[in-house]
Amino acid sequence: MTHVLVVENLIKTYPAFRLGPVSFKVEAGSIMGFIGRNGAGKTTTLKSILNIAHPNSGTIRYFGQELPGNERAIKQRVGFAGGAADYYPRKKIADIIAVTRNFYDNWDDAAYLKYMDIFSIDPQKTPRELSEGMKVKLNLAIALSHHAKLLILDEPTSGLDPVSREELLEIFSALKERGVAILFSTHITSDLDKCADHITYIRKGELIASDTMESFLSGHRMRGEGSNLEEIMLHYEKEDYHDKFAE
Amino acid sequence: MINLLNKELRLSAHLLSFLFLAFSLMALIPGYPILLGAFFICFGLFQTFQNGRETNDVLYSALLPIDKKDVVKARYIFICLIQIIAFILMAGLTALRMVFLANAAPYVNNAMMNSNPVFLAWTLLIFALFNTLFVGPFYKTAYKFGKPFVAFIVASMLVICIAEVFHHLPGLEFLNTLDRLPLQLMLMLFAMAIFVLTTIISCKTAQRNFELLDL
Repeated sequence: MTHVLVVENLIKTYPAFRLGPVSFKVEAGSIMGFIGRNGAGKTTTLKSILNIAHPNSGTIRYFGQELPGNERAIKQRVGFAGGAADYYPRKKIADIIAVTRNFYDNWDDAAYLKYMDIFSIDPQKTPRELSEGMKVKLNLAIALSHHAKLLILDEPTSGLDPVSREELLEIFSALKERGVAILFSTHITSDLDKCADHITYIRKGELIASDTMESFLSGHRMRGEGSNLEEIMLHYEKEDYHDKFAE
Repeated sequence: MINLLNKELRLSAHLLSFLFLAFSLMALIPGYPILLGAFFICFGLFQTFQNGRETNDVLYSALLPIDKKDVVKARYIFICLIQIIAFILMAGLTALRMVFLANAAPYVNNAMMNSNPVFLAWTLLIFALFNTLFVGPFYKTAYKFGKPFVAFIVASMLVICIAEVFHHLPGLEFLNTLDRLPLQLMLMLFAMAIFVLTTIISCKTAQRNFELLDL
């Protein structure tokens, strides 16, 4: 199986937080669920692999190429969307696209029109006029218009209503079938039950596991640590506040 | 770089950065500290930084398939573009005043600075201060602009005060007259060299800082 992203021993240290070492691999045409509770280090990991935060150590390889020295070429084939990424909210989408398209060698206007149509996005609107779900779809449309082979999505379903979440998950599954790999960070584990092939789980900056969904679930099930992602996360994370208050 | 400059002009730039070019006209106001025009042009450019922070411009740019240091270079080119346009406008107005309004009473009796090559030299110094004290330090965080802008305000106001005082000092009256033009032009060329040199150094430092930054 071809790996589109290989992360090995990634370490990032802040004064009050240490991430890693984190290692995982994302296969072409698969969905990697990247889970952990709020503050576990998911966004730090994604920022590090996008080189917008600088890891202290570790190697990051996309499509067999090391990130340092190949960033321009790699980013031609990678798309990013995140709940927090809300660019130029008062500019017309058409104007944003007119600028953005020039940066990508493989920009495909036909694909862009197709995805804007599929996602029902009006290019004459501004991003601030879009719902949160539509903003994620806009970022997906941009990524798919330059034929990104890997989508890195930071909490794309957080804060969305159940219908929008369901729609996005369906889109992710359709993209997977078309050979697109998705690295999808979330703390809403039920989203991953429906679509993820692999799971990487971090807790307080430390890697707990990175495995196929099947193996991850069966291992924990056998040890009686839960039978689905939510139960497994609760097993690791739940703090006993009854005891704490009693102290 | 062309694509990044296109992004600067169409997405990043705030409208006031362009509109405030009109403050170049202050070069013709008699009885007024006309160097404030240069300050207001920089204030217009400041709006682009404020706008950039509100629109996630830095993150958008850093995620593009480009070298990160070019994000900073494109911003400097945009700033210099506005400053050069302002300088050309002011230079044109200065030439008009010196040729056609040389003997006009409001300028002859003006206790404040009149536009001449020395005024243009001071203008370039104010632009250099903006690039060095505000733009460069901004890229240490790509977020915090309060302290750098206050530093620029204090320094530029000081320069404006010094400029207005200097031409009243004995022996320095030529700074505000129409004679000794060659010397005035030399001072302008000297200021131009300072502007170019400090801007290049500031840009290189900002590029280095920006590349080390965790966004």
